[in-house]
Amino acid sequence: MVKNITIFTTNTCAYCAMVKKYLGAKGLPYDVVNLDEQPERQAEALALSGAMTVPITVVTKQDDTRQVVIGYNLAKLAPAVA
Amino acid sequence: MTETKVHDVIMVGAGPAALAAAVYTTREDIETLLFERGVVGGLAAVTDMVDNYPGFPDGIEGLTLAENLRKQAERFGAVIELGEVTNIAKEGKLLKLETTSGDMLAKTVLIATGSDYKKIGVPGEQEYYARGVHYCATCDGAFYRDKRLVVVGGGNSAVQESLFLTRYATHIDLLVRSELRASEVLQHDLQKMVDAGKITVHLQTATNEIVGEDNHVVKVVGTDNASGKKIEFPADGVFVFVGLKPNTEFLKNSAIELDEIGLVKTNEDLETNITGVFAAGDVRSGSTMQIATATGEGATAALRIREYLEGHKQTS
Repeated sequence: MVKNITIFTTNTCAYCAMVKKYLGAKGLPYDVVNLDEQPERQAEALALSGAMTVPITVVTKQDDTRQVVIGYNLAKLAPAVA
Repeated sequence: MTETKVHDVIMVGAGPAALAAAVYTTREDIETLLFERGVVGGLAAVTDMVDNYPGFPDGIEGLTLAENLRKQAERFGAVIELGEVTNIAKEGKLLKLETTSGDMLAKTVLIATGSDYKKIGVPGEQEYYARGVHYCATCDGAFYRDKRLVVVGGGNSAVQESLFLTRYATHIDLLVRSELRASEVLQHDLQKMVDAGKITVHLQTATNEIVGEDNHVVKVVGTDNASGKKIEFPADGVFVFVGLKPNTEFLKNSAIELDEIGLVKTNEDLETNITGVFAAGDVRSGSTMQIATATGEGATAALRIREYLEGHKQTS
């Protein structure tokens, strides 16, 4: 079971909109960290994912284990939020 | 026993060509399902600014244009499913599509999967993918605030995205293998950035290697084609826009005919060699790879699909 979801995004990222659309269609709430508005959190996104890209989706499960999905990757995102 | 639903038209892809086609088919009451494996709006959605799409005198952000096209198609009843089509084959008079949501049947199919940015194919490119090497400025540019960048390419995308990246980067070296091929308007805007010292253009410069240290990119090695001399460009990141490759890998096991570079062959009615399968936009052999022509081809394909379905109704 999913406890919470955080998406790291930017204002101009089309793939971020796709992740939001997918989670919205599944009825899953999520928090957004917009790196254009909070550039100081870039290092956090990089540390979590090892990638300098958005979207980064962090899925935290009820047992506090975390799964990080880089980019708009349905093959990874779908099982992560199932 | 459950009967498998037969769709009037399944569109593979949800970029400008398919979304425009969907506006036309749904307004004709043709039941329309679109499959998109990537981003709705295709490459248009990840383009910073679109200045050559008619009707927008001040230009329009690619993401906004894509969003408007999506809303317009959905307003008339188009359904967009997020998933992937992996093969298309004839099944009697119908078409069978293998998809990540299972097999589906359709009376007609529109292939509108567009194209994606090519890779350069140099050492370091794969190794530093998403950790210094990027193909989407609007996605990843924000990571290069106050950093130095290299952009590779000389066409419209390379220049447009270089201009976008100046909002973050301190300096950009634009490496152009031969001459600039971007539109005059973009070259004019580029010149302003060159004059401001934000961008340096290196014509006749090949890109040979992307070099990293301690897990991040530090420089790009290139060659001056005229002198053959190696040049090093210090860089924290590299953005690559060196042309397009068609998204037709999923057709490799189908009977649909492709041209020598993998684009889908069609006749003048935009129909492929398989009856009932049409193609439009960047993925079609002979396409001019413009958003405006993609939407135009989408509209044409929709009208041909309507004619096909009407003929099919009369003969079935």
